[in-house]
Amino acid sequence: MEEKQVIDSFLSDRTDEAFCALFEAFCVRLRRYFLLRGLDAATAEDLTQDVFVKVHQRAGELREPDRFHGWLFAIARNEMVSYWRREQPRLEWANVENPVVEPDVISGMRLTDMLRTLEPAERDLVVLRFVEGLSYEELAEALKLPLGTIKWRIFNVRKKLARSLAASPAQRAREIIN
Amino acid sequence: MQDHSLPRRRSGREKSSISFDVTSDMKHGISELEWNDYLDGPGTVELRDRIEAHMIGCLECWQLYERLSDATRELVEASEEARSGLPLEDRRMHAMLRGIFSRIRSGPTKSHIEGRLNLLEGVLTPFCGSQAALSALHAAAQKSPARSLDRVTPDNWAPFLENLSAIATAMCGATFAGLIRESGQL
Repeated sequence: MEEKQVIDSFLSDRTDEAFCALFEAFCVRLRRYFLLRGLDAATAEDLTQDVFVKVHQRAGELREPDRFHGWLFAIARNEMVSYWRREQPRLEWANVENPVVEPDVISGMRLTDMLRTLEPAERDLVVLRFVEGLSYEELAEALKLPLGTIKWRIFNVRKKLARSLAASPAQRAREIIN
Repeated sequence: MQDHSLPRRRSGREKSSISFDVTSDMKHGISELEWNDYLDGPGTVELRDRIEAHMIGCLECWQLYERLSDATRELVEASEEARSGLPLEDRRMHAMLRGIFSRIRSGPTKSHIEGRLNLLEGVLTPFCGSQAALSALHAAAQKSPARSLDRVTPDNWAPFLENLSAIATAMCGATFAGLIRESGQL
């Protein structure tokens, strides 16, 4: 079934079958979003489950299927922020947002190197736009930002990465460390 | 976002070390948002024609474009690699789905809803009095798919809470409505 059909079917029927199809369509994507944002595999799976429980509970809020992706990733982002807030007494915010040791599953990826040179908010943009393929409108919905701000920030990300790619290996290493 | 091919690439133009100005909002009549649209696109015909006509005569902008385009291409490739590099075993996926259903089925019950309604009434009463608080709850339920307060369930809780927040906004302002929305989360 096409992704759009899966979403439409879930929002109109709300059956267990439709929910399972939705889970199959988006489970890997949500888990990947959490992993690429620096969470370990167990936490990524826990938060993915939390998101689906919320989706099940709050499906009545969403009347326009076209807004599903933005709505879904807004829930995911809120869950991640809540997790960081809960963990804050135990972990320094800076370490959670900029983990010194990344989960094994993402270390060694080219994208991980690129994400390291970006601010946490920019990492969200990159993962949602370039990995998950959200449109600018969906990004605005997910991140609760105006469309122009989203585009401007994406342009800044391109500039930062261009600068980083043009830098010498030693400069790049310094950028990553800093 | 997919088309990152260079327009009319010219031979003999090496990338120089000229650094591009990353602080100005608009350079040579092309704004950052327009550059962004062009890199995604190539955007509208008007935008494409204007940027490409300008780049023919402007080495600096051509180099800016090449660098941004290269960075975008790298980013797109790295993202594709990440998409295929983080699979999830079926076994794990099924375990997660079982966990979700188990939580949904043990999720908010009728007594949970009653407790939450009492809490909302308790939040509303000091601000608007007990009669108005009760009226607000009934009005929010009547306008929701539940149609009456005793038929509010976890399934129709969200529109009920939205209606109540709207009423709270009218009664006591947006800050108070935010408090209602927060207090009403199941």
